[in-house]
Amino acid sequence: MVVRRVLDGDTELYRVLVERYRRLFGRYAVGMLGDRDAAADAMQEAFIRAYDSLASLRNPDGFGHWFFRILTNQCHNAVARRRPTSDVAAVDLPAPDRADRLVEQAELGAALEAALKELTPEQREAFVMKHVDGRSYEDMAQLLGVGVDALKMRVHRARDALRASLRGRT
Amino acid sequence: MSEGNRLSQNAHRYLDGEPHGELPEAERVQTDRLLEAVRAYGESLPALDETLDDAVLAAVRHRRPARRRTGWRWLMEPREVRMRPIWAPLAAAAAVVLLWVGTRGPLGPEAPALTPTVAADTVFVRFELMAPNARDVWLAGSFNDWRAEQLPLAAGAGGVWSTTLALPLGEHQYQFVVDGERWIPDPTAHAQVDDGFGGTNSVIVVGPKGVVRS
Repeated sequence: MVVRRVLDGDTELYRVLVERYRRLFGRYAVGMLGDRDAAADAMQEAFIRAYDSLASLRNPDGFGHWFFRILTNQCHNAVARRRPTSDVAAVDLPAPDRADRLVEQAELGAALEAALKELTPEQREAFVMKHVDGRSYEDMAQLLGVGVDALKMRVHRARDALRASLRGRT
Repeated sequence: MSEGNRLSQNAHRYLDGEPHGELPEAERVQTDRLLEAVRAYGESLPALDETLDDAVLAAVRHRRPARRRTGWRWLMEPREVRMRPIWAPLAAAAAVVLLWVGTRGPLGPEAPALTPTVAADTVFVRFELMAPNARDVWLAGSFNDWRAEQLPLAAGAGGVWSTTLALPLGEHQYQFVVDGERWIPDPTAHAQVDDGFGGTNSVIVVGPKGVVRS
């Protein structure tokens, strides 16, 4: 209904879609890119491209899936563009005997973020959706159009790589 | 037990929240450490707030509004029309069906003559991709909301994968999905467009008289 009204010229109503899907997929974008500004840029670009192509959406009720595909492309491209410049070594590693729990938590999170950059975009995506977004494999399969078994494989490989990476960092 | 750098299947089941057996202490510590890191990372992620909504709306307000593309408008647009030989028999059959439906008058004798804008009109289109090394090939496009693993192609002789779909009249964009990972355009399509995300979509136009351009 909202999509149809936007197509009929009610541009302001597009805000309803933007707000709804920012809430649903914003965490995915931030998790994929690890950076708030980069995620905001990717989401903004995805929403604008979706708006420009809205007339080609054959099933207005399928906006969410359709938009998610646009967003995933946007995020994957952003990851690919900056991959050569990622600087994993710049992350400070937590000292093993650090007493300050909060600092340790922050450093542990930073270590994971650094380790995530070493995954393939598909592995990072699956891991973020599963563990950061807290989605079920079935939900992920619906959104990504990839089978549950293939997604489990990506998550498992991501975990193996992250565990090995964290073991070397913490 | 874990092998080398890999977690055991038991550990993965534990992390997936599925029924699992007892984990060795060392592996239990490592999996809990991983979960702890994920939790810390998740808590550190900033949320995107409504300033994003404002920025998007400010941008789209100055753009050409998205408009529904009506069948009539589509019909009146000038376009180049070509037919690929492989679709000729199917297109001809579809045209005969259209003609038969049109003369039969499904809405009753007093109904106006059926025009080519009837939404149910479809044309059978065969899609092919030469991919001898592929494990599986799927078709995804604007006609199925780009779902990657919904429309499988069947493997044929010589590494040619194919499927035949009944497509509604209009313009459709599509790509093939090879092995669930690689999205590739149709190398034989006559029209390709930038999908705006660094990739290329193939374009097919299904015409009202069963004539197809791709």
